[in-house]
Amino acid sequence: MKSTRRFAAGAMAILMAASMAAVASPSTAVASESSSAASSAAASSAASESSGNKLFRFATSTEPTTLDPTKGNSVADNEVQRAITEGLVRTIDGEINPACAEKWEVSDDQLTYTFHLRDGLKWSDGKDLTSKDFLYAFQRLIAPETASPYAWICSTAGIQNADDCMSGAKKPEELGVTAPDDSTVVITLSNPTPYFLSLLGSSTVFCPVRQDVVEQYGTDFAATADKNVYSGPFVLSSSENQVLVYEKNPNYWNPDAVHFDRVEENIVADASTQLAMYESGDLDYVSIPLEQTQNYIDSDEHGSYENGNDDFMYINSGSEDQPLLQDANFRLALNYAIDHENYIALATDDVYKAATTFVLPEVSGTNGKTYGEQYGDKLHAFPKNGDADKAKEYLKKAMDAAGITDPSSIVLNVTCTDNQDEKKIIEVVQQMWAETLGIDVEIKQITYAEKYSTVYPQHDYEVGYGGWSPDYSDPYTYLELFRGDNPNNYSNYHNDEYDKKLATTVTETDPDKRLATLAECENMLLDDGAVVPLQFREQHYLMKKNVTGIKFSLGAVNFDWCFGDITA
Amino acid sequence: MGKYIVKRVIAAVITLLVLITVVFFLVRLMPGEPFTSEKLNPIVKENMIKYYGFDKPLIVQYFQYLGNLLHGNLGYSMKFTNKTVNYIIGSTFPYSADLGLRALAIALAFGLLLGILAALNRGNKLDVFCVILAIIGTSIPDFIMGAFLQLVFGIKLKWLPVAQYTDFKHTILPSLSLAFYTMASVSRTMRASMLEVVQQDYIKTARAKGLSNLRITWKHQIRNAIMPVITIMGPTVAAVLTGTFVIESMYAVPGMGKYYVDSTNNNDYSMILGMTVFYGAFLIFCNLLVDILYGVVDPRVRVGK
Repeated sequence: MKSTRRFAAGAMAILMAASMAAVASPSTAVASESSSAASSAAASSAASESSGNKLFRFATSTEPTTLDPTKGNSVADNEVQRAITEGLVRTIDGEINPACAEKWEVSDDQLTYTFHLRDGLKWSDGKDLTSKDFLYAFQRLIAPETASPYAWICSTAGIQNADDCMSGAKKPEELGVTAPDDSTVVITLSNPTPYFLSLLGSSTVFCPVRQDVVEQYGTDFAATADKNVYSGPFVLSSSENQVLVYEKNPNYWNPDAVHFDRVEENIVADASTQLAMYESGDLDYVSIPLEQTQNYIDSDEHGSYENGNDDFMYINSGSEDQPLLQDANFRLALNYAIDHENYIALATDDVYKAATTFVLPEVSGTNGKTYGEQYGDKLHAFPKNGDADKAKEYLKKAMDAAGITDPSSIVLNVTCTDNQDEKKIIEVVQQMWAETLGIDVEIKQITYAEKYSTVYPQHDYEVGYGGWSPDYSDPYTYLELFRGDNPNNYSNYHNDEYDKKLATTVTETDPDKRLATLAECENMLLDDGAVVPLQFREQHYLMKKNVTGIKFSLGAVNFDWCFGDITA
Repeated sequence: MGKYIVKRVIAAVITLLVLITVVFFLVRLMPGEPFTSEKLNPIVKENMIKYYGFDKPLIVQYFQYLGNLLHGNLGYSMKFTNKTVNYIIGSTFPYSADLGLRALAIALAFGLLLGILAALNRGNKLDVFCVILAIIGTSIPDFIMGAFLQLVFGIKLKWLPVAQYTDFKHTILPSLSLAFYTMASVSRTMRASMLEVVQQDYIKTARAKGLSNLRITWKHQIRNAIMPVITIMGPTVAAVLTGTFVIESMYAVPGMGKYYVDSTNNNDYSMILGMTVFYGAFLIFCNLLVDILYGVVDPRVRVGK
């Protein structure tokens, strides 16, 4: 037996060596490829560290869908472009700052904006940046053959002929943007858009693009970091291996405002991994997932901001499968049955802020105040703890009108996706409705891809969870969702009086009057129970103490690190 | 042997073609569409449908796809709009394969070692130890093992980095986490197979002829016992090398795993197809290799065909 054992050990040594050798050849080939990439990254990071430079590292769970500024369509895309492109103006912390445009004039009718570019603007490759680059970017954005998912933002911005150019009925050259000389960009609007500058300064699809570079690479333009040139405070030096590496752009017009020399954005899908990386010192900033927030709320590196996401239950107000939803009384019953305080505790672990009105109160109002500060107390908010009696009253009215006697005979289908957070939310809502109203609430699960590509646009649901992230800081971005002809009117809400009132805010040039009308519009929605507001999302994060100057805002960009600083 | 290989290759090509065809039409039956966003605009959607050629009849799209495939072109992703599927696979596969090969080397070396040691020491402590290890390995899911190793060696002891995949130190934890399950299954298969072989008549004959234990174990027992391990290796190699969602995401390895899951979540037709074709081709290739390896290890297979 002893000899067997001795033999076995020997045999195994040989076998192990053999099995190692068998895989060693392809393994080393692959390994050398990846390790060379790794070592070059390591080498460059070592180089930047050795020169005493400032490095900022953070993680994101959402991989940007594109590096092409014109095709960006998410907050993650915008946040990347914000660092590497520079528009006419730049919205920082809600304020509009001159950027490529040094100054601008607005015509009296608020329809014509004339932007004057700075002298000596340069691209990262040293070529001059002129108004032609802006003109090209706008025309490329609107051209149907570009198929930019965000082309419609031109129409939101109120730019003349946007819809016709987007559909191909008019040529891109007919869009209301011209460049009379190399340093002037003129944008003509079809209606006064009070949020125009704020949108221009935060949405990066309006940033300049170089025609010769696009033509050089064709459909591969901006596929990787080396296939584009940059105009922003940073250039993208690498986009390989799930790390975006930004380096200070020496040709940026305002280099003194830029403090980071190198920024590394790590795309790490798993939120717990991100936290682990932060805790082991591999990151300077990390956002905390909802379910972990309470564990970190007392940390002195903890902070939070409102990212503008407004979550609610869509009600299909024109539902034929559940005709009760067409009755405002039934919709109000659904609203009054929600105990918002309890909901926030149960569904979001007390992390989010309860929403008893629809529009995010933090969006801009007038005279430097927020909408909430000006109109918060004038809105017909739902009670914080719901109102079971009122809910039952409304239900009774709706049932009487429909000739229903037994509430338990009412079946309400609630649509949600397979997202974990969402499931939890729906279960809480389901229970509140079932308990307070005594109706039968059933959950219908679909995929995310189904939700916004077919189910919601075709109004193929009764009640469903959803949310809206604003593109600009103005109540209109939310209220527009209930405009009868809006393709994003997933609520199937049709109210002529509402549409008329909302339309007056588009042409109104007095900002105070306009805001008052918008508040009236919101009250109409609340009185009509058109939507069940649930929560305003708050994003929590951890940031090292030595990092300063990071801005957080709602809208197209949430996490704005471009002009931050880090001390040793 | 030559004829045997040619037959296998032809069968492989046909399998692949069937796979492509089935998947091509199946993805179109998935609920929802690829262009999905809460801010979808109908005109924009029209433009995107044209851009990706979805306005053409399905059968035309199918032959176009096959034509592009012959040139090795898998098309553009619909989610990551200006990246080609080729680029995404090309830039992520090396990481998945590197991680997979490391895991495989560990799994094979220790799996075989444990399996053989357990079989040779059947019934005593070493055997019990190996069996327990194998049971733990097969019954603990990789995300628990991954999280456990990450917590102990990364966060608590701080011996190894918690995530990312840049140098050797970064590869250790993900490789071990990934290797554990395969190691356990290899050792179990090897042990069972060794025990079966040892009862065969030819082992008794060899022993009766007075061959040394070393010679019997090495030449007769292991060589015959390794066949089932080779069989399970085909699909295992393909699965491990082409990326594993859980381990890659947990350790932030920039591999292929997440694209599999994301592509189906996003209804990204070209990515789903590209990934499936790539994975399918790889799996078929691995099985082909296994078939050929049989012939090398076991002459009876060659003669039989």
